[in-house]
Amino acid sequence: MAGTFEKSLRIGIAIVALALPQAGWAHGPSRQKVTESIVIDAPPAKVWAAIADFHDMSWLPGIVKTTGAGGNEPDTATRQLTLDNGATIDESLYKYDAGEMSYSYRIDNVDVKVLPVNNYSSTIAVLPAEGGKSTVEWRGAFYRGYPNNDPPPELNDEAAIKAVTAVYHKGLESLKKKVEAGK
Amino acid sequence: MIGLHGVGRQVKPGKALVLFAALCVSAALCRAAVGAEAFITDQSGDEVSVLDLGLKHVVARIPVTGKPAGIAMARDGRTAYVTSPEGKYVSVIDTASRQITAKIAIPDTPLGIAADPSGGFIYVAGFYQPRLYKIDLAAAAIVATVEVGASPSGVALSPDGALIVTADRDDDQISIIDAKSFTRKSTVKVGAHPFGVTIDAQGARAYAANVESNDVSVVDLKEAKLLGTVAVGKRPYAVALAKGRGFSTDQYGGTVSVFDLATLKPVKRISVGDYPEGIETSADGNSVYVVNWFSNEVWAINAETLAVTAKMPVGDGPRAFGTFLRETL
Repeated sequence: MAGTFEKSLRIGIAIVALALPQAGWAHGPSRQKVTESIVIDAPPAKVWAAIADFHDMSWLPGIVKTTGAGGNEPDTATRQLTLDNGATIDESLYKYDAGEMSYSYRIDNVDVKVLPVNNYSSTIAVLPAEGGKSTVEWRGAFYRGYPNNDPPPELNDEAAIKAVTAVYHKGLESLKKKVEAGK
Repeated sequence: MIGLHGVGRQVKPGKALVLFAALCVSAALCRAAVGAEAFITDQSGDEVSVLDLGLKHVVARIPVTGKPAGIAMARDGRTAYVTSPEGKYVSVIDTASRQITAKIAIPDTPLGIAADPSGGFIYVAGFYQPRLYKIDLAAAAIVATVEVGASPSGVALSPDGALIVTADRDDDQISIIDAKSFTRKSTVKVGAHPFGVTIDAQGARAYAANVESNDVSVVDLKEAKLLGTVAVGKRPYAVALAKGRGFSTDQYGGTVSVFDLATLKPVKRISVGDYPEGIETSADGNSVYVVNWFSNEVWAINAETLAVTAKMPVGDGPRAFGTFLRETL
C-alpha cells in the first residue's frame, strides 16, 4: 500500500540536492486537473456515510492516522494525514454539503517529496448511478511540484498528474471494496 | 442589442437571421445584429475556442501551443493577442480568418496582456523577472521595458490607453504605469495576492481580485489610493463591471460574487461552473461571460437580473485571462 507515496518519497530524496526554493504559493504557470471516478454497487447514502467524516481517511490506502479538529465545518476543519512512511499532509476543508454528498478541501502543507504538487485543491462527491448504484467522483486541481520554469522530470506537470491520478485510483478502488464488502 | 439577443435566444438561428434582417433599419441595429464571439484560451487543450455567443456553440478551434492562458482583444475586434506561458510567446490571431499571423517571442513567461486602443502596441507581463514589456506590433518587437512588482499577473489599460495597471501578485500591490513614458508612477498596496485587475470605463478606478484574502481591492487611480475592499467568495480570480456592479469569479467558491460599485456592499453570489476564472462584460453591458476552467464551459449571466442565461461548452481547461470578447462586424 501507499506505493505512490513511497515511490514519490524515493524520487524526492534524489532531488533534494537541487535545493528547491521554498514553494509557498509560487507555482509553474499552468494548472493541471485530474478527475477519477468509480461505480460502487451500493446506494449513495451508504457510500457517502463511508467518506462523510472529514477526519476519517481510513479508506485511503497508505494513511495510518488522521488527526484534526473542527468537525465537518468549512473554513474551520483541518486534518493531518499520516502516511505509513511517517510523512504527513496538512489539509483544510473549505466546502461541505451533506445534501449534495460532496466536500472540498485543499492541501495546506505537503512536501513535494511526498506528493509532487503545489496549490492543490480537491473535491470528492457521491452521485447517484443507474440501478441504485453510486458513482464517486474525485477531482483535483493543482500545480506541479516545481514552481519555476524548466522543472526536473520528477517535478513536472506529468509527474504531478501521475501522482494524483494514482492516489485517486487507489483510493476509489479501496473505497469500492470497503463499501461493497458492507464494512 | 438586449432585445435582439432575446429574440435570438427564443427562435431557431435561421428565423433569427430573418428577424435580424427585418430589424436592420439603422446602422446601430445592423451592428448589433451581427453578433458577438468569445475567444477562449483552452490552456489544457492547447487551442483557442471561438464561441459564437448568438449560436451558443464553438464555431472554430485554433491550435495554439505553449498552454495559452492570457488574451487581449484589440478594440476593433479584428485581432486577438494570446500569451503562451510555456511557449514564451504571444500569438497574434486574425479573428475573422481564425489564423495565427505572427508569433512574438517574450524573454520571460508571459501571462497577463493588454492591447493599446490605438492598435499599435501590446503590453505583456513577464511573470518571473518581473517586468512589463511594451511591444510595437508593426515591428513585432519589444520597444520598452519597465520593472514592476513580483509575479505580475493581470494587466489592465485605461480606456484612453494612458495608464497601465499590473497586479503584482507576490508583492500584494498594483503598479500604476504611465503608458507614454513607460515609467511606473506609483504602487498601491492591495489585498493578499492580487491576480486579475480591471479598470472601469471612466479610467477612474481599478479593481483587483485578491486570491488569498478572498476580497476585491478598489483603487482610485488618480490619487493612487485604496478606496475600499469588498469581501467576495473563495479564491477570486478576476473582476468584470456591469450596470453599476462588480462581478468576481471565485475559483474555490464556484461562484460569481456580485457587489455594488457605489456602496462596495455585496449584492449576491451566483453559483456557476467549477473553478470560474476569466470574466468579461459584453460591449452593450447587458451580459457577463464567465469561463469555468474545470468544467470546460462559458456561462452567460444577465447583468440586470443576475440570472444564468446560457451554458456553453468549450475546450479543455479554459482560462481566458483578459479581454476575450469581440463584436463581429
